[in-house]
Amino acid sequence: MNTSEYLQKVLASQDLPDDSAELKALQSHRKDVEDLLRNYFAKSSPTIRYGGSKAKGTLIRDDYDLDIACYFPHDDTAAGATLKDIYNNVATALGNDYYLDKKTSAIRLKSRDPKTYATDFHIDVVPGRYTDSKKSDAFLHQSSSDKERLKTNLDVHIEHVKDSGVVDAIRLLKLWKTRRGLRVKQFVFELLIIDLLGKKKKDALADQLLHVWTELRDRTEAPAVEDPANPTGNDLTPLLKAEWSSLSAAAASTLASIDTTGWESVFGKVEEKAAADKVAALRSAAAAVSVPTKPWSPPE
Amino acid sequence: MKRPWHLQNPELLQRTRVELEERYPDLHLSAEINTVYVRGSFPVEHGGEVLDRFQIQVELPAEWPSVTPVLRETGGRIPWSSARHVNHDGVACPLVPEEWLLSPNRDSLVTFLDGPVRNFFIGQSLFEAGEPLPFGERPHDRDGLLQSYGELLGVEDEPQIRRFLEVLSRHEVKGHWDCPCGSGIHLRKCHMEKVQQLRKRVPPSVAAQALKRLG
Repeated sequence: MNTSEYLQKVLASQDLPDDSAELKALQSHRKDVEDLLRNYFAKSSPTIRYGGSKAKGTLIRDDYDLDIACYFPHDDTAAGATLKDIYNNVATALGNDYYLDKKTSAIRLKSRDPKTYATDFHIDVVPGRYTDSKKSDAFLHQSSSDKERLKTNLDVHIEHVKDSGVVDAIRLLKLWKTRRGLRVKQFVFELLIIDLLGKKKKDALADQLLHVWTELRDRTEAPAVEDPANPTGNDLTPLLKAEWSSLSAAAASTLASIDTTGWESVFGKVEEKAAADKVAALRSAAAAVSVPTKPWSPPE
Repeated sequence: MKRPWHLQNPELLQRTRVELEERYPDLHLSAEINTVYVRGSFPVEHGGEVLDRFQIQVELPAEWPSVTPVLRETGGRIPWSSARHVNHDGVACPLVPEEWLLSPNRDSLVTFLDGPVRNFFIGQSLFEAGEPLPFGERPHDRDGLLQSYGELLGVEDEPQIRRFLEVLSRHEVKGHWDCPCGSGIHLRKCHMEKVQQLRKRVPPSVAAQALKRLG
């Protein structure tokens, strides 16, 4: 198997078919969330839109999500007078049914059921308000940022990534980022990859990845990244700058390991084990443990 | 305030970084003010194969290695439930903390990952497949602590466990003290040898911490 075939196998192993349990669960939760928001904010008639990695074509099994944008009309105040009020009111609406992980602009939904408490539904609800009656651009509240509001456009982001011509590279680099625990925001990372591969779209996938890692390793400073949804208004560079040294170090070690041990050192072997084989292998792994340890639970 | 471990001991930070890079290249270390974090995908390996993966964060607090690393599964896969040995703040409990603090390799993060962390995730993977936890589990809360400390000290009832921990938490031991076994006779005429043997394994700081945890 050559490098190109190997990378295609890695990509295939990260596909989630529409009939997979993960995507079926996502669809079911999506409907619940949409119904809940429409009922709770019946007077405001929010527009519910879907984004995230499924819409952009960048979904990977290791890290998939669905963004549910809940945008209110520009002249509506029933859902909240300010963007912060809207964010908080949407959180209140969801809070009875879900454990909420509040992010800068989005609200991550997790389970409240005691048996599955805090397990991830892979859904981010993104509250916002349209900037005008055209219902295209929207303002989002930002809870942990210098700027209180962020202007954005869901369609522009989705199209920018979908039409970039480097979606495969984005998926593999997202897998790399996820496995390495790198915390750069995904949409900023995607914009960076698209910029770096602007003149490399026709290169082989392996060469594209090597190019991105080499740039990450060799650039001493984070490059400026423009938000296509708001080119002059959103400065994304600080978000990249904060994580640059980690990205750079991870890229350097990745390039070194490809040199010494090859591509499998980055993405691992791709053969999937059947469920029964996996259990047998896990039992065998447990039997081979020389110093067993027993888990404990401290008082709540 | 005492300086965090990675500023006091940059050699240990460098050794940890190098060992991690070599053994777990998917895990990434970052030093942030008082705490060092290790994040990424933890592979459950056996026989050269990755059987499963979990997204994790391991926190090495300012006082590490005098305290146990703090483990979290960050992929939202394992419920925060005592039945799964994950606290309601998302902290996983792969073992009673003092068990790790008695390890001769407690300053090796890779040994922690290779041992309790790997064991924990083998168990979680099997549990998801409907299998029992392969190494058993401690009872919850204080009962689990008493079981663990009892095994360590070779005694069974709580008053004895407490008395042995009291003696072990002192920096000096006097022969005229009452023996912690509860016999009512002097230590030198009763379990002095056992206490001396335990003192070689259990530092006073760990015994004091165990007592504090028992409350």
